[in-house]
Amino acid sequence: MNIPAIDPALVAAPSLGSMTESAGGSFSAWLEQQVRTTNTDIVSADNSVRHLAVGEPVNLHQVMVQLERARLQLELVVQVRNKLLDAYQDLLKMQI
Amino acid sequence: MDFAAVFDVSAAGMDFERMRLEATAANLANAQTSGTAFQPLRAIAASALPDSFDLRLAAALPRPLGAAIVPGNAAPRMVLDPGHPDADSRGFVAYPDVSPVSEMVRLVEIGRAYEANVRALGMARSMALKALEIGSER
Repeated sequence: MNIPAIDPALVAAPSLGSMTESAGGSFSAWLEQQVRTTNTDIVSADNSVRHLAVGEPVNLHQVMVQLERARLQLELVVQVRNKLLDAYQDLLKMQI
Repeated sequence: MDFAAVFDVSAAGMDFERMRLEATAANLANAQTSGTAFQPLRAIAASALPDSFDLRLAAALPRPLGAAIVPGNAAPRMVLDPGHPDADSRGFVAYPDVSPVSEMVRLVEIGRAYEANVRALGMARSMALKALEIGSER
């Protein structure tokens, strides 16, 4: 069985010049969007807990799933904020 | 977040198991009622086509489709009880064809299936929380 050598033209290294900011919004827009989603999630989870408390026929597991979703979303935003603050502190401590 | 897809599909599974529980509870509650008005109930759902247009459009996982509680069409169980007010001319009383043994087996099955859905959801949740811990151990 004859295995041909790898064609060097096929494995050209990707150029670093293509690493520009991705189109369609900056980081701050993304963060704002995430904060808004988190707020919506928390409000809807709060609403379903309220419905449950006043005795409306709500599926218990739907309430729990919504609570978990809100919690995960909040955790994501908190972690991003932590990383951002860490980076900021590092830059602030930099000696010039 | 894409873990939300697992949340949704597990919640749909839990919805369906709850519906099956409702049908089984109604069967057990009406097992001793006379007459042919009550037919044993069953919760049924079709499995979604894994490649259907709706699923592709929503980029969602396949889930139980069109879940509904429908009455079965089993012949009633006839019990000889001439003194019963609902007895027919030959002294037989019609009861719904509910077998307590198979309903009990179904109950156990429903409980385990619900538990499995909860477990899958919990695993998705703890995986997401673990992923958010990346890089934070100090």
